[in-house]
Amino acid sequence: MIGVGDPLLLFAVLTAPSAAAVLALIPYPHVSQAVARAGAVIAFVAAVLLLATGAEGRWGPYLGLDALSEVFLLMVTGVYVTSIWYSRGYLQHVARPFLTPQVYYALLSAFAFSMIAVLVVTDLGLMWIGVEATTVASALLIVLERRPASVEAAWRYTLIASAGLTIALFALLLLYISTGTLDGFTLAANPPPATLPIEMAVALALVGYGTKVGLFPMHTWLPDAHSEAPSPVSAMFSGVLLPTALYAFLRVYRVLPSPPPVAITDLILAFGIATAVVAAFLIQRQRSFKRLLAYSSMEVMGLAVIGIALGGVALYGALILLVAHAFAKSAAFYCGGNVLRSTGTNRIDEIRNLRETMPATGLAWVVSAAAVTGAPPFGTFLGELLIVVGALAVGEVWVAGVVVAAILVAFLGVNSQIGRMVFGEPTASSRPLTESSDSGWGFAYLNVGVALAIGVAAFPYLSSALRAASTLLGGSLP
Amino acid sequence: MDGSAEVLALVGIGILLTALYLQSESFVDPLIRGIAVQSLLLAVLLGWLAWTTQSVDLAILAGLAVAVRAVLIPFVLRRQIRAFRWRMRELHAAHRVTGHALAAVALAIIAWFVFQQTLATTFPEPGAALPFVLLVEGLLMLATRSNTIVQVIGYLEEENAVVYAGALFAQGFPLFVEVVVFLDVLGVVLVAVILSIQRDVTGTPEEAALEELAG
Repeated sequence: MIGVGDPLLLFAVLTAPSAAAVLALIPYPHVSQAVARAGAVIAFVAAVLLLATGAEGRWGPYLGLDALSEVFLLMVTGVYVTSIWYSRGYLQHVARPFLTPQVYYALLSAFAFSMIAVLVVTDLGLMWIGVEATTVASALLIVLERRPASVEAAWRYTLIASAGLTIALFALLLLYISTGTLDGFTLAANPPPATLPIEMAVALALVGYGTKVGLFPMHTWLPDAHSEAPSPVSAMFSGVLLPTALYAFLRVYRVLPSPPPVAITDLILAFGIATAVVAAFLIQRQRSFKRLLAYSSMEVMGLAVIGIALGGVALYGALILLVAHAFAKSAAFYCGGNVLRSTGTNRIDEIRNLRETMPATGLAWVVSAAAVTGAPPFGTFLGELLIVVGALAVGEVWVAGVVVAAILVAFLGVNSQIGRMVFGEPTASSRPLTESSDSGWGFAYLNVGVALAIGVAAFPYLSSALRAASTLLGGSLP
Repeated sequence: MDGSAEVLALVGIGILLTALYLQSESFVDPLIRGIAVQSLLLAVLLGWLAWTTQSVDLAILAGLAVAVRAVLIPFVLRRQIRAFRWRMRELHAAHRVTGHALAAVALAIIAWFVFQQTLATTFPEPGAALPFVLLVEGLLMLATRSNTIVQVIGYLEEENAVVYAGALFAQGFPLFVEVVVFLDVLGVVLVAVILSIQRDVTGTPEEAALEELAG
């Protein structure tokens, strides 16, 4: 139940980033930065307190919380706060930024606010508006560094994501016509019979929101936007934007009675497998380390979708994977950002010997690359293991085999490339590297530490919330 | 068929014909005029429905269709063409247009058939399949065209499809006007902001090789 103090926390988690988005426009860069940081910290603290107090229930006609939204809130605000703090050093190296620091901080705060709004509204129509707002808020952030490729990437992102979300809106129209309401909490509590229009609505929502999740074959915007955006924004894209879009789909998916129709779970499984497999193989041919990390995110989203389709313990694994990946991937992007600001290139072939030239960043990159690809004992390993166990538990041996193969291929691809950059001997084409004093590698260690702590169940509140969220979605616990 | 249904069917067929015309055109200026005509036809349909049902929401949607998608965005797009002569026509598009037109007709037939097989009993309104056909046509345009202005037109067509569907069989959909306003804002952001940035930063055709985005 929502207690006496919880509305205040909910108010804080929503208003802090929105107020920061407005106040950051103040024409003093240092004040703007301080305001943005304060907004992020307040939102994060409020999210932690909401998780710790276990606040659940509705607040007014449009706002509500349950274990699932609390887990995602922690994830979004956690990456948001580190990305805002990491931004200061990164912005200093951008030679001719398209946005002033004030506009950058305002847009980053607005981007975070739109994701948080998705997580705390109960109405599926408002949730759709929130997901669409993430596009509006983040599109201009991609062009910060004023490169032709950045503009093209922003264009593709806006157009493809919006086209997908139009399909999601069609799904909501179908759902509304069939049920007469768009209240996600009400529909989940009293699921309507799985008629053909409702099944079609869920299928269209999968395609529509799946575009923003980066599911194959609607993923084409993802590597472009992730690779061209400034690194703190890439961290938020990979770490939390994709899961937020998946959350919006999960809310529509919950409308189906339990167990969901096999046709729908098979469709979700097919999208998940195709995404994980295609991404695992595309990882092998990347020349840019930011695109490498982007395809790695796509592979993880594929695995998470497989876990959702399988249900049971695999669903629990998918949630753990999403949370741990958010922190680990943001750490990897911060390291990539440090290298990019030092060398001006994101080409893998031109970067070698980080272990000596940028030891702090190099080590953090190796560790975070291991974390994002599911190495033990990180939370991603636990999540992926549970997805494989879940597949075996329901007799889907071939799915377990495909998942293991995709994980191994992606693991080898990402770690060999990062390993070459960190441990490889310098060549004639290698760029000179230096570790800057304000490179912010501490945030990379912080976030990869969180991914590690999730793996060893060091967060009591988060662990119980993850279990509750899994149960809420019809999953089982190991 | 009563008078109201006849009006809806006639205007709906007009909207479908504009969608097929858009697929078979490679010059950008006629495409902009085509989407403006389609938006005007949709506004007529919305206005008719608003009149017959006394719905204020539908009247607002009709006004938005005229003001934003029939006038404002086409105006901005035409200014873009004047600034960039190479955007007058899709590069290398001439040999593709016949294929686009054939694919558009084939897709329209398939979408109609799929709708009749799956959702016709749920949505018995005359012409209920047309918004779905329009959505598929908009997606086809987005997927097959490389000119940025033509892609915006594909996006506008998708938005028209959503408004058409909402007006035809989802009246009472909560926050529908707000959703459409949001889509319009995004449309304006697309054309006014990103196209302007593209002019400032690149000033080159979008089909120029962008090595960084390969792979």
